[in-house]
Amino acid sequence: MKFQSKKRFRLVLTVFMGFILIGALGFSAQKIPISFNDYHGFTGTVKYIKAVSKAYPSITRLVEIGKSNMERPIFVLVISNMKTGTTIDAHVKLRNMRREGVKNVPPMKPYQGKPGHWICGSMHGNEHTGTEVCLYIIDKLVTGYGTDSEIKQLIDNKTFYICPVVNPDGVYNSVEKGLSQRRNSMMKDDDGDGRVNEDGRDDLNRDGFFTRFRYKDSKGRYVIDDVDPRLMVRLGRDKKTEKQRYSVIAEDKDNDGDGKRGEDSEQGIDINRNFPEGWFTDDDMAGGTGDYPTSSPEAQAVVEFFTNHRNILMAQFYHTSGGFTFRPLGTAPHDKLHPKDVAIFDMIMGKKYLEIIGEEVPEAWQKPELLDKFKAELKKSSKNKYAISRGYELPRGWKVSYNEARDRRYSYGMATDWAYLQYGIYSITTELWNSRKDIKGMPELKGEDARVKLERALLKYQDEKFGGKLFVPWKKFDHPDLGQGEIGGWIPKYRSNALPGSPLLNVCEMHWQFELFRAGLMPAIEISDAKARVLYTTNSARGAVVSQKVDQVTIKKGKSKGKYRVVEVTATIENKGKLATHVARGTQLAGNREDVVWLIGDPDKVTYLQGTPFQKIGILEGIIKIPGYSAKVAPAPQQEQRSPYMGRMWRFMSQYYPRPRRPQQRPVPTQVKGKGPKRTVKWLVAIEDNAPLKIVVTSQKGGTKVKNLSIQ
Amino acid sequence: MKSRIQFKYISVLALSALLLASFVTPAMAQKKLQKSPGGYHGELDFPISWNRYYSYAEWTKIMHDIQKKYPHLADIESIGKSRMGRSQYLITITAKSTGGHKDKPAMWVDGAIHGNEVNGITCSLYLMWSLLTRYDYDKYIYDLVNNCTFYILPGLNVDANDSFVRFPNTPHNPRESFRPEDNDGDGLYDEDRTEDVDGDGELSIMYIQDPKGEYKLSPDKRRFVRVSDIKEEGVRFRRIGPEGYDNDGDGFINEDDIGGPDPNRNYPFDWNLRAGNPYPMSEPCTRNAYEFMLKHPNIFASFHYHNTGRLIMFTTPPRREQKQTTEQKQQAQERLNQYLEEQRKTNKYAQAFDVQVRPGYEEDINAQAQIVTMGARILKNYRPVTSGGVGQTAASSYGMLGAYAFLIELWGSPAFDADEDNDGRVSDEEYLKWIDTELTGEGWIVPHKVNHPDLGEIWIGGTRKKHTQRTPPARYIEMEALKNTQFVMYCASQFPKVEIEEVTVTPATHNLFWVEVAVKNERIYPTSSDRSMKLKRAVKDKLTFSSSKNISLVKIPGAATKINPKNTSVQYETITGKVTEFRLKGKQTLRFCALVKIDGSSGWVEFHVKSQNGGSDSKKIKIKIS
Repeated sequence: MKFQSKKRFRLVLTVFMGFILIGALGFSAQKIPISFNDYHGFTGTVKYIKAVSKAYPSITRLVEIGKSNMERPIFVLVISNMKTGTTIDAHVKLRNMRREGVKNVPPMKPYQGKPGHWICGSMHGNEHTGTEVCLYIIDKLVTGYGTDSEIKQLIDNKTFYICPVVNPDGVYNSVEKGLSQRRNSMMKDDDGDGRVNEDGRDDLNRDGFFTRFRYKDSKGRYVIDDVDPRLMVRLGRDKKTEKQRYSVIAEDKDNDGDGKRGEDSEQGIDINRNFPEGWFTDDDMAGGTGDYPTSSPEAQAVVEFFTNHRNILMAQFYHTSGGFTFRPLGTAPHDKLHPKDVAIFDMIMGKKYLEIIGEEVPEAWQKPELLDKFKAELKKSSKNKYAISRGYELPRGWKVSYNEARDRRYSYGMATDWAYLQYGIYSITTELWNSRKDIKGMPELKGEDARVKLERALLKYQDEKFGGKLFVPWKKFDHPDLGQGEIGGWIPKYRSNALPGSPLLNVCEMHWQFELFRAGLMPAIEISDAKARVLYTTNSARGAVVSQKVDQVTIKKGKSKGKYRVVEVTATIENKGKLATHVARGTQLAGNREDVVWLIGDPDKVTYLQGTPFQKIGILEGIIKIPGYSAKVAPAPQQEQRSPYMGRMWRFMSQYYPRPRRPQQRPVPTQVKGKGPKRTVKWLVAIEDNAPLKIVVTSQKGGTKVKNLSIQ
Repeated sequence: MKSRIQFKYISVLALSALLLASFVTPAMAQKKLQKSPGGYHGELDFPISWNRYYSYAEWTKIMHDIQKKYPHLADIESIGKSRMGRSQYLITITAKSTGGHKDKPAMWVDGAIHGNEVNGITCSLYLMWSLLTRYDYDKYIYDLVNNCTFYILPGLNVDANDSFVRFPNTPHNPRESFRPEDNDGDGLYDEDRTEDVDGDGELSIMYIQDPKGEYKLSPDKRRFVRVSDIKEEGVRFRRIGPEGYDNDGDGFINEDDIGGPDPNRNYPFDWNLRAGNPYPMSEPCTRNAYEFMLKHPNIFASFHYHNTGRLIMFTTPPRREQKQTTEQKQQAQERLNQYLEEQRKTNKYAQAFDVQVRPGYEEDINAQAQIVTMGARILKNYRPVTSGGVGQTAASSYGMLGAYAFLIELWGSPAFDADEDNDGRVSDEEYLKWIDTELTGEGWIVPHKVNHPDLGEIWIGGTRKKHTQRTPPARYIEMEALKNTQFVMYCASQFPKVEIEEVTVTPATHNLFWVEVAVKNERIYPTSSDRSMKLKRAVKDKLTFSSSKNISLVKIPGAATKINPKNTSVQYETITGKVTEFRLKGKQTLRFCALVKIDGSSGWVEFHVKSQNGGSDSKKIKIKIS
């Protein structure tokens, strides 16, 4: 008996403790462990995100957005509370539909009704530090949901689209196969000999890594370093030396007997030059990669995903390395950016970024009110006309890839520019990892042999922390084409990526903090003070109207009995987020629309006396004042790229399209008052019986909110 | 800058005769050669009724059936699936006995990239049918099919094509591919489409009785006419618009019809977001077609069928940037008109275009001008015009693939015939007369009363039916298709053909001899377009020298490279190696000469010319020294 009761007591205790535990942890019962002691690669990443999506079904969805040329899937992990959020198509009932019934419109997902934040890594396969940062962010988000109120807020009200690996083939080859591959993979015949991918790189010594081969060569450009004999030092063009010269080449041989090594490999095209912005050169020739913009399945998958997820307002395309961030633009000069967005990019995001990575914030960003003074000063000291117009030079840690000094574009068809210029997204590219800054105690990059010093220090660091396992020591090898030599060198995947362990964790943490900050900037739309007040009842819905002017309806006062109730509906719509619901150029961009408010009721029972079922209310501004920007000072935005369908055409067509309700008169638009982040709206409707009403506000990037009205 | 050639007016007089393919593989002969124009030409070997439009299921079946009958000439493949899962069938036509389809210059033809422009399908099918059924009967077609490849994609936008033919529609919709789009900016996609309210199988215009309306019924009660005097008594109507319901209850009707981006603004060249939202090659139907074109570098010219307006639009090379005042522009236009007037006195089909191309594109504009001039003659009341870019198919065919591209705007309402008072437009009365006489009354919807769930009692009618304006009525289809087929075939007949005209040997000194070879292309088109040269897609023509062992090439000293042993007026290029690379322009003969050393008293030299698009030829001569 005693024993039994003890057992029961234990059971009760366990259950009790269990409850406490569950209570403490919220819902995250089964945590998916993740470590950053080595890279996950493609396989590890897929395994991890599949496990996460299984363990956290209520806040994650795993979506396959495409397949690479080698049939590897490209996954996006959607992180958002799946129980919250709504979209407009869930509320508007369609009737009398065309009999043909083409079903080309898939229903929207609830998470598409929240502001979206895209984060992706490894568009370049060998720059897989971005993948690790993505995984770190996933881990922080899903495990923080139950414990951290800020993260819970974000997951409930925003949507994260995290694509750890955009270039699965490149990452697979770079990490799993040990062969550094920047581009995607393609089945093609580079050397035109009729065979496909027959001469790629070779792992000659079969150690699992595609390292380097060095051999004695009187014309070689390398010598062995005096201090660390593992290090090969590259000589200047005309530098003379007494030492033995070496040539250092990739570990590779001629596989097809044409006298060339590695001339027909699996390497395809650079995905980050395959986007549809600035892809052509100025004389209409191909400047970017591929046969046409989005010709690669990876770029198309990303572009198609953005097209179907117009709620994305923030985007981060991680690359490696350098330890700084590229904000747009790279394919076009600075003045294509709207000054308001420049201020948001630099003064808000850039400032925070520099603080996080520990670099000095330019004086102009700290004192934006003195911008005019800085401009005047720069006019004297700088030759950079873009800097003069801004009032500051861009710092090392936060810059553009466009070459402002030479007024020359950096490259063609880049994703970040495309996302900002065409889809109106605050998109940036962070070049993660700077070994000199992210490892403590690295030498300063100064002096003649600064690079060599850094290389020595890195080798020493990996000796101490990794037991020298990241570097393959040089070993003799008899090369089939070149004869005697040695194979060795850094294992490619560690060469330019954040070193695993604490340096990588440090990089992850900094950039998680930055994206957390950016997510916090996104708009948040709310409906408050929604009221439906019965003015009186009447027998005829139409009879209530006494007079109607352009935007004002006067109705009969007094009380008469009838089955119709004349109701005044008012509401306040507010953006409580920091930024506006669109970038500065907003609805000038095709595919971007104004924020819209609907008053929805049973169409058979609700008559609109004043106001229309849906009404455009412009763009809701954010609540913060943008430092260094004022609408008065800034030049007018460029008029371009307005969609014929959504702008000009619609305005024209709206006169042409029939309005069924009141043939005699144009309906009076919904009364919308206010500007900035706030609008007050008012309708007058006549309702038969007790037909319910609801207000739906839908903003592409600000989210969708519903309020059911109780009629008083 | 000064050395640039000004291409002001390119004019072409009527070409005296069609240049027929001059060579026939002698081993084969036509089975049923017909020489009489009044004779039987094979069309009835596979009869197709051309006085109706076909649904997707029907025309793809026709394609498959005809391929089964002519397997030695045709192959069918699906180049991919459309958004709604329909296979896009493409037929490849070439005589397999004379080589694979990829080894011959090819003509690309696509029809109906716009869903509603289904007469493009008919024209494509008609071309396919003519080539296949007449192969054994006509020498002209026999040579074409032997020497060229035709890639024919009858329906490009198959989803919308099928919808247009099978369901009630206005002449203008559905036009785009079926990517959902929010046209009215209310957050919903494709939610308010057109509906056939009165169930008569046509989409007409709705009117409603309204005392303040601007319309009244015409005396014959067949149409609504505007009220001229507002005080005039009688029943008034207000025009509401095309038939349909307010599906989403937002107060508008048909404001968000099916379809998104215009597929003909979806191609990569000169694409922009404004016209081509969301991104280039976003639609499966256009992407599949373009991927096919990319994989077939032998495509030499392309036809893209549209309607309406009877135009031969041809893609011009990049223009030279020039700053002209309006006055200068007017003057240039006047000069052009005067020039044309002069030309038209002797040739009523003469054409002239004011096109100033960038340097290096002269051959392209020249060749195209000649082709479309002939096109204007074949197609009669069609007008050749230059066309631009903005993501259009033809722009990419030329701009990115280097293929000579044409956009044909088919048909056009019968303005040419029905305009009795010759004021340049067809009034409703004139139109009705045309419908009553030539269409025997079947093209008109007479106004009638209908009950509408959103509007109450309304009137529908007073318009033409679907197949009267943008797509020809059934009995006009064949007339249209035949003329266009003739033009495509003419264009293909001008694909380059390289030939060795002659090889001659003349003594120089001692045992040295001059060997001269003349290589010619008698067709209008060069062996590769200027654009494909710039794009580095072109493969140069190659002249290969071979000889018996005792004959060897002698290097001509650098100072004497312009040696001309026979005639100083003829330009010669010297041959210095085994292979000489060059490019033959249209209607051009190039002469080459080589200095050879002959040991002994006899031997032979042979020249072989090979062109990517112009075929190959060789000539061998024996030399005997006495």
